[in-house]
Amino acid sequence: MIGLIIKKELREIVRTSKVAWLLVGVGVLVGLALYNGYSYFTTHSALLRESQQTTYQQFITQGDKNPHLGAHFGFYAYKPTADLALLDNGLENYTGTSFYLEPHQRGVVKFREVSDATGLRAFGFLNIGYFAQFILPLFIFLITHNIFAKEWENGTIKMVLSARVSARQLFAGKLLACWLLVLAVLAVLVLVPLALLLAHPGAGGVLPSYGCYAGGLVLYALLLTILGVSVSLLARSSSLALVALTGFWLLGVFLVPRLASQLARQVHPAVSSVAFDDQTFHDKQYGVGGEGTKDFRREHLADSVMQQYHVKRLEDLPVFFIPITIEYFEETDGRVMENAYNAIEANEGRQNRLVLASALLSPFLAFRDFSLHLTATDMNTHQDFAQQAEAHRRRMGVLVDSFYQKNTVASNDFWKTLPQFAYAAPGLGWRLSNAAAPMAILLGWLLAALGLMLLAYRRMRV
Amino acid sequence: MPVSISRVLWRHELTLLYRNRVLVTLFSLILALLLASLWIGSSLLRQQQRTIGRIRAHGVEQTDSLKTRIRRVEAAGMRYPGFIWDDPTFAYNTARNEGPQYAVKQPFALQALVTGQSEVQPFYYKVYINKKQYLVHEGEIDNGFLQFVGTFDFAFVVIYLLPLLIIVFTYNVLSSEKEQGTWVLLKTSNQSIARLLLYRIGIRYGLFTGFFWLIVGPVLALLIGPAFLATSNWWWLVGFVSLYFAFWFAVAFWVNSFSLSSNVNAMTLIFGWLLLGLLVPNLLQIGLNRAYPIPSRITLSTDERNAINNYFKKDGQLLTKDVFSSPRTQIRQASVVTPGMVYGYGVIVYKSQEIKDQATRVAERRLYGQIERQQAAIRRWQLISPALLLQEVLSALAGTHWHQFNQFSLDVDQFRLQQQRFFYPKMASEQTYRTFTTADADAIPRFAPQVYASYDWLHISQTLLVYAAVVAAVLTLGYRRMLYAGR
Repeated sequence: MIGLIIKKELREIVRTSKVAWLLVGVGVLVGLALYNGYSYFTTHSALLRESQQTTYQQFITQGDKNPHLGAHFGFYAYKPTADLALLDNGLENYTGTSFYLEPHQRGVVKFREVSDATGLRAFGFLNIGYFAQFILPLFIFLITHNIFAKEWENGTIKMVLSARVSARQLFAGKLLACWLLVLAVLAVLVLVPLALLLAHPGAGGVLPSYGCYAGGLVLYALLLTILGVSVSLLARSSSLALVALTGFWLLGVFLVPRLASQLARQVHPAVSSVAFDDQTFHDKQYGVGGEGTKDFRREHLADSVMQQYHVKRLEDLPVFFIPITIEYFEETDGRVMENAYNAIEANEGRQNRLVLASALLSPFLAFRDFSLHLTATDMNTHQDFAQQAEAHRRRMGVLVDSFYQKNTVASNDFWKTLPQFAYAAPGLGWRLSNAAAPMAILLGWLLAALGLMLLAYRRMRV
Repeated sequence: MPVSISRVLWRHELTLLYRNRVLVTLFSLILALLLASLWIGSSLLRQQQRTIGRIRAHGVEQTDSLKTRIRRVEAAGMRYPGFIWDDPTFAYNTARNEGPQYAVKQPFALQALVTGQSEVQPFYYKVYINKKQYLVHEGEIDNGFLQFVGTFDFAFVVIYLLPLLIIVFTYNVLSSEKEQGTWVLLKTSNQSIARLLLYRIGIRYGLFTGFFWLIVGPVLALLIGPAFLATSNWWWLVGFVSLYFAFWFAVAFWVNSFSLSSNVNAMTLIFGWLLLGLLVPNLLQIGLNRAYPIPSRITLSTDERNAINNYFKKDGQLLTKDVFSSPRTQIRQASVVTPGMVYGYGVIVYKSQEIKDQATRVAERRLYGQIERQQAAIRRWQLISPALLLQEVLSALAGTHWHQFNQFSLDVDQFRLQQQRFFYPKMASEQTYRTFTTADADAIPRFAPQVYASYDWLHISQTLLVYAAVVAAVLTLGYRRMLYAGR
């Protein structure tokens, strides 16, 4: 019986001209999302891969230079495009990809593409992630909003309920019919990008993350379908169900996240760049925890080094003193900068948690967070990259300064001994652990949707 | 239309709207959101003004401290007690330490309404002689995730939320009459049904728009002061927003004229909103990125670095030999920093910066040329999406458009050249590299902060007229169809 209901509903849905148009529209959008995501992934991956080689090549062929001057020429650590950026490029355009490795300066990630974007940026970037978060829910709601309501509006509900079909069979049949249609769209969303990914060499490593992403997407679509069908049954009016579901979508997709983001800015305000510069300059110059001014520490360092080598003048040292000073202040200034950046990251963490908490009001937001973590285009991955790049900068600094202690000229032979930078985003376990909170919220929403479904089912009376 | 009928319609509409609980609830919600957006926008504006105040104070403190330190060195017979790299009488040291000045884009009052590009573009730069601001600026410290989520401002409420309220307001103006069985009664009246419905839509538009400005104007004046009321930007903004509302009322009227069910009307209007507000701009973005791809800034740094490497392989060899191996500079020994070393580094920085600036000029033209082409294309195509058009116009009128930030950036670049012209001769000459005085400290060029809120490039009156014509055309189409539907 359920099979018959599914067949009837599917035939009715597909034969409705508005749904046919809707499906054509969805097909075109999915195609464009795939094209956009794929071209972003391929062009950015190639650019960053080549640029990493170029910048390092420039560094190791800079010729004879004073080691410190050569180190200032430095090179860039580029964050490779995320392996699943084809699905969702997340924060990549907002966080930047380039980290400059040079002495004295704790690096910051630069070249955010969003700085060069036009006003169109505000309308989003159409890819699979965007489609799943913004358009798929609306598609599901447009399909489901009148699946039950039409029976009341057409006056056919009495006829249906008085037939041999049970209420349970009717509910299951209608729900499954909608779900099959949604599944067909999901199949395109999941399988086509998978084929495109597999066409790339070495893509096998991302399959576990991809599988989990697909699982999350199915779960998310299921909960939305259940919500849509339940609201249609509860409202008993297509218009009311449509207004309610669209309103929920609008609140969840646009309103709640943006309000939460502003609230996060108000509750946990960020320090201004001017204040940040003033504070770090002060701490570096005058010291923290009573360590004394920079001049005092420099004098103290000179005394202790001369004492170590049993000499009375810096010029008599068997090693050059300047690189020792540089290295010493890399350590002390580095601590100041690390504390300052840690404070910023901690504040951003508080802001992000507040925004995530608002996902309790919006399953769309929970899925977006899940998507960012699974595709490694989230803030955690960005911070991981920045930490690794900074660690590489320090490693380079130590190598250059120890060479500089005995040499005042470095040639290409030396530059070639300094290691290239390579970053690989962490694997599935790390991604899943970051995504634990949004996954829990999505599961909570699924339970809530099931609860609403039970409530709606019990009220299926004429 | 006799006056009595108008009065009846007004009374009828007011009673109907007042008694519709869904509408009253929605209206209250949107009102709360509108007020919240005005408060958020004004607090962001105040925050920016506070930061600018801090920058100003920082500049005064820095100059005072620089002059005090110079006087101290001069009083001690040009002996500096601390580290030589901090000695302010060396022009190169001051150019690196206290010399860099802040260049500030003063916020325009209407920025409280539209965040625009101010979310991702810096409103101040610290201008160094040796750092191209395009390559180093990161703007204000902000959370990338929050920027990704987007801002909640007046423009967002107007562009996205209010059209949906208008849809809820209007989707069943005709269909509800049919569904409730009052259609037959209407048909028997001696009034033209098309004109009656046009009046009803007109009354709703008047109520909605009037109420909207009655709230926004006074609340905004209270939050940021009434000065904005005297600017032409504000009145253009009122015109465009009112026309945007008119567009959605007109579209709803047109959709109603097809005599479909309320449900289909609602679906069509929501789909129209999604299409015009979200999908069309997105598709345009894909097309423009394809037609005018914006090169990455990475290419700028690659070009700059290639030029430096080439320079040091040829001409730079002579310079480095002179600077590194000269007994005067003593860079070859690395035990103590000598005055010659400070001078030598000053020369290297000056020379290599000239090379870098020259090298990046071409790449910069490529980058900004493509962005300008995209902007020009947006201007040509903006009519296809009223949401895009309104966003472009609103951000221009609020002083947060890309053009205005770009102009600011170009002015900062000129200012940087001014600073270079001031410091280079002093730091790269053997006669002057350690003669920086308090008079020089006073003569360091300062950026004159200014408001960037002109909108000449918009051709605003033509745009408004064309847009009004589109609204009129949609209304006419709807009216003609309605005449047919009324039979």
